[in-house]
Amino acid sequence: MRRLLALFLLVLLSSCHGSSPPVAPAPASSAPADDFRSSTTYEKTALPVRLRIPALHVDSPIIDLGLQDDGAVEVPESVHEAGWFDGGPRPGQDGPAVILGHVDSKAGPGIFAGLHKVKAGTLVEVVRADKSVAKFTITKVSRVEKTRFPTDLVYAPSLDPTLRLVTCGGTFDHAAGSYRDNVIAYADVV
Amino acid sequence: MRKLGYRIAAVAVVTATAATVTAVRLVAPSEATTTTVGRMVAGAEVKAAPDSTSPADLAVDFEALLGQHSVLASNMMRSRFRGDDDFVQAANASLGRNTDDMTGLVGKLFGDATAAKFRPLWSEHVVMLFAYAGALADHDDTAKAKALAELTEYETRLAQFFSGASQGRLPMATALPLVVTHIEHLTGQADAYAAGDYTKADELFRMGFQHTYDLGLGLAKALLPPSDTAVLDEPVWRLRSQLGKLLAEHAVLIEDTTRAAVTRTPDFTASGQSMNANTSDIAAAVDTLFNAAAAKQFQQLWGTHVEALVAYAAATAAKDTAKQQMARDTLTKFQKDLAKFLSAATNGRATPAALEAALGEHDRMLMQHADLYAAKNYQSAHDIAYETYDHMFHLARTLADAFGSTVAAKLPKGGAATGFGGLAGHV
Repeated sequence: MRRLLALFLLVLLSSCHGSSPPVAPAPASSAPADDFRSSTTYEKTALPVRLRIPALHVDSPIIDLGLQDDGAVEVPESVHEAGWFDGGPRPGQDGPAVILGHVDSKAGPGIFAGLHKVKAGTLVEVVRADKSVAKFTITKVSRVEKTRFPTDLVYAPSLDPTLRLVTCGGTFDHAAGSYRDNVIAYADVV
Repeated sequence: MRKLGYRIAAVAVVTATAATVTAVRLVAPSEATTTTVGRMVAGAEVKAAPDSTSPADLAVDFEALLGQHSVLASNMMRSRFRGDDDFVQAANASLGRNTDDMTGLVGKLFGDATAAKFRPLWSEHVVMLFAYAGALADHDDTAKAKALAELTEYETRLAQFFSGASQGRLPMATALPLVVTHIEHLTGQADAYAAGDYTKADELFRMGFQHTYDLGLGLAKALLPPSDTAVLDEPVWRLRSQLGKLLAEHAVLIEDTTRAAVTRTPDFTASGQSMNANTSDIAAAVDTLFNAAAAKQFQQLWGTHVEALVAYAAATAAKDTAKQQMARDTLTKFQKDLAKFLSAATNGRATPAALEAALGEHDRMLMQHADLYAAKNYQSAHDIAYETYDHMFHLARTLADAFGSTVAAKLPKGGAATGFGGLAGHV
């Protein structure tokens, strides 16, 4: 079968080659390659400055977050502000951008108090310093023990333009003064 | 596993595992007088890389072959318009070789029975695409309509084949649009190329490559049991797949651009634009993996490489040996500079010597491709183009692993302390 197909193709090729006039582009009078320049003007995606999640009534400035001395991610000082992990991609850029926010203070709700109950399809907008807006929709929400935090799924680089929103949830360890779990919302760029 | 391929072993470039092995070339079926050819790279004897035959490895290989099919089919159709002497080779050798490799992989992935059905079915649309291109070249609307009708009927049969082999995981309603898009990209780029709209033709060429490449992974995930493919959604596999796509596309676009430079055809400008778009995409990946400053620096270095290869091709066309040597010298410096840059970016996980050797091999193949094309040795030009694609794809795998390990070492440790207990019991 393979040989028959190859033979058929060759017959076609031979017959066509001899009969049809070429419609090839004629060689240029000068060599266009002489003027070729490779692109060198890489434009980076602007920094995120504001987070909006209308369904959760979230509309907050975004601060930059790095790593603490022990290697854990920094968190915002204010429970009413979101923070972007600046060791990873910027929102809308290829790769997983990560934004963190508190679920609560000692006395009341924080910016991500409603994240654990957000629905798939919920719109998330990130306004950037150049006024452009990266839009995402939530695809799933999971709750995981902090001791089993899925670092690779949240932070590890692929080239898919995604967003992860991270906060606390689950039971509260009063002795340690912290929640035992993290709530993670995964979102894809629109 | 591909019958012909450069396997750049992770052990070659990544210090953590080894330091001596860099590349291996297995022998093409046509090279019947030899068995396995080792190469000397950077003073080290070349040995075969371990044969990776996990379903995930094969799935990633499958997407590379499908992407390559799109490129070869586009080139075959364009050759038909141009009336090149090389179109017989392009159509019959490179595409046939790609189909052979794909059939072998289909057999390993999905079984011999599926492979036996796949080969004739797949080959059928190559013939139909050739007929379509011929109709366009001959301005024969009747033949074009006939070819289109055959392709339309074929799309359904191919979609049924994939859907049927998926055991319900790939519904016909999903499979058919994927196949239709593949055919539309190929016929669309052919229409535009025949009309002299090279910019549109090359945009569709890129879209066709990217769609078909991704289609390969989608098909593998649909046709294989979920237990075999779950890992493909993990970041390390996503990065291998995505970096492989970007760098394999670089290989096909630089070949396309240098071919146009050698032949001084007016499609050069559009080819150069596509080349630049790919360079920007690779720089964006470097930004994602490292940072914007690294991306900027990378783009400058990579641009030097692209410009030198184009300059070499142009000098080859002009028979200007002095300019050819200038381009070679530029590439030699580029290989050292980029190797140093990548080694530093990966904190030494990728060794400069092995990287320099791998980049040198890449450039050597591309210059040889230009030489062969200029000498009208089309069969060999297509052979080296095929090998260059394979080489770059596997180099991308090695780089992806080195990059991934480097970034992983800098990621936050543990969960986030984002609560104080005010809503305890409610969240």
